[in-house]
Amino acid sequence: MSNVLVILEAVGDDLAAISRELLGKGRQLADALGGSLAALAIGPTTAVAARAGQFGADQVYTANAPALAQYTTDGYVAAAMAAVQACNPALILAGTSFQMRDFGAALATDLNAGLVVDATDLQVADGAIRATRPSHGGNVINTYRFAAGKPVVALVRKQSFPEAAAQPDRSAPVTELAIANLNPRTEVLSVAPKAGAVNLTDAAIIVTGGRGLGNKDNYYRLIPPLAEALGGAYGASRAIVDDGWVPYEHQVGQTGKTVSPKLYIAAGVSGAIQHLAGMRTSRTIVAINKDPEAPIFRIATLGVVGDVNEILPLLTEEIKARLNR
Amino acid sequence: MHIVVCLKQVPRDNSVKIRPDLTIDAEGIEKIINLFDEYALEEGIRWNEQHGGKVTALSIGTSEWVEQLRRALAMGATDALLLSDPAFAQLDTIAAARVAAAAIRKLGDVDVVITGRNSTDDESGAFAPALARLLGWPQLTYVGKVLELQPGGTIKVERHLESVIETVSCRLPVVMSVIKDINEPRYPSLLKIKRVAKIEPPVWTAADLGLSAADLTPAAQLAERVPPPPRPKGEMIDGPDAAAKVRKLVDKLLEYQVI
Repeated sequence: MSNVLVILEAVGDDLAAISRELLGKGRQLADALGGSLAALAIGPTTAVAARAGQFGADQVYTANAPALAQYTTDGYVAAAMAAVQACNPALILAGTSFQMRDFGAALATDLNAGLVVDATDLQVADGAIRATRPSHGGNVINTYRFAAGKPVVALVRKQSFPEAAAQPDRSAPVTELAIANLNPRTEVLSVAPKAGAVNLTDAAIIVTGGRGLGNKDNYYRLIPPLAEALGGAYGASRAIVDDGWVPYEHQVGQTGKTVSPKLYIAAGVSGAIQHLAGMRTSRTIVAINKDPEAPIFRIATLGVVGDVNEILPLLTEEIKARLNR
Repeated sequence: MHIVVCLKQVPRDNSVKIRPDLTIDAEGIEKIINLFDEYALEEGIRWNEQHGGKVTALSIGTSEWVEQLRRALAMGATDALLLSDPAFAQLDTIAAARVAAAAIRKLGDVDVVITGRNSTDDESGAFAPALARLLGWPQLTYVGKVLELQPGGTIKVERHLESVIETVSCRLPVVMSVIKDINEPRYPSLLKIKRVAKIEPPVWTAADLGLSAADLTPAAQLAERVPPPPRPKGEMIDGPDAAAKVRKLVDKLLEYQVI
């Protein structure tokens, strides 16, 4: 039991970035364990299965039964169990989307395996797998050591590892897995795009507004235009989501989304600890607030003390002018 | 119909400290019902109001947890059940699910288990899937709307994922986890809080649940637990007026190559 198995995800007709990250890290870990690297493509993902070889996989499995055309817990766990039978992995890697959390925890339970969700680092030390994950809104960084002999399911936070580079002359055999008695108990009746979906988690730039804006009209007059000028997305503090100014989709923080963009602008956000939990790992944090004592300034890279209603229109204009937008 | 709602007690905020023995020190921080679990409780109470039967608020913890279970009763849960044993002190998520699964099996007549999408302290979201697999029931996670729930029949829900909404159905019994958007939890009235103040919920131990030490052992050992690295010291942008500050700020953003 020294192999590593990566559960592949696709975006359109290409491997998802997370899958290239996992193949890169998986390759390293498989070498450290003295095993090989396998990848599993389930359902629609089988279209990109062959690409996994170029990114480091030694063996690719596909599971392509009609019942796997859509995600179901039962279907995906059955496919993964077939791959586990085929390659007996010490470590199974997947991303941390909602679907993968639904899947990974179910798989780990069925396998009586170790489980780590939201891993930001993985290592092999003395033959044992070690996994690091934040908890408590990023205030605690935990490193767990898993005893050898039991597999580990690790769901990895996006952008934790560099993406593997393609090696065009590399390839891996692709084997279709037979899955017996595939009969998912849940039935997916429809899949509809979310109206006004905002993928804050993937945004490189986020502009977030808080109660310091004064009212809902000011939020919409000032925050989305600045986000648009920067080519970013717009977020909101819990206070103004609870007050009904902005839909929950936009909420950043402990009970909203956890984000880590390269630029996070917090305007009129005081910086309650629940908010900081959702954005403290952003690369550059700009805080604009009229209260110089606001906690947000303690973690800000750049701070501006002033009235957001005066500063934001100027900032939007200045950015448009300087970026020629 | 019998609905069980699983509640976790968590610190109100995450400004916790780490003790020398690596356990989490949340002393001085108020303990509350995990926010997402309040939505689960409200959903359970609403369906119970429609179909009748029982809503049991279930939690794992020490005797101080009873206060939160009473709050659940004041909100409208019909029953409360505390799973308490010194052996439950350091459970990981899957072991906690084993404890809850044993209790739900012992209750025997449960149709639906509802819990929050994740706890705000551990944040893994693994409890509901683990519980479903241990019970051998289907799971519906990240539920933003329950469209239909027919006692003894089927359930149809919307799962609210990152960029899509799935409509999914299955037969009962089921384990589901809910998101914050699903409803607006009610505040218990003072009268109801008073009425439940003396209720002592039943307490089941590891022995009552037939759980062995192996069932409760975490799969991993904690090797290290540290606070996050400090952020580099920030810089305040000064200037004679707002326009000057804004120009200086944009200079910095260009210099940092973040715009």
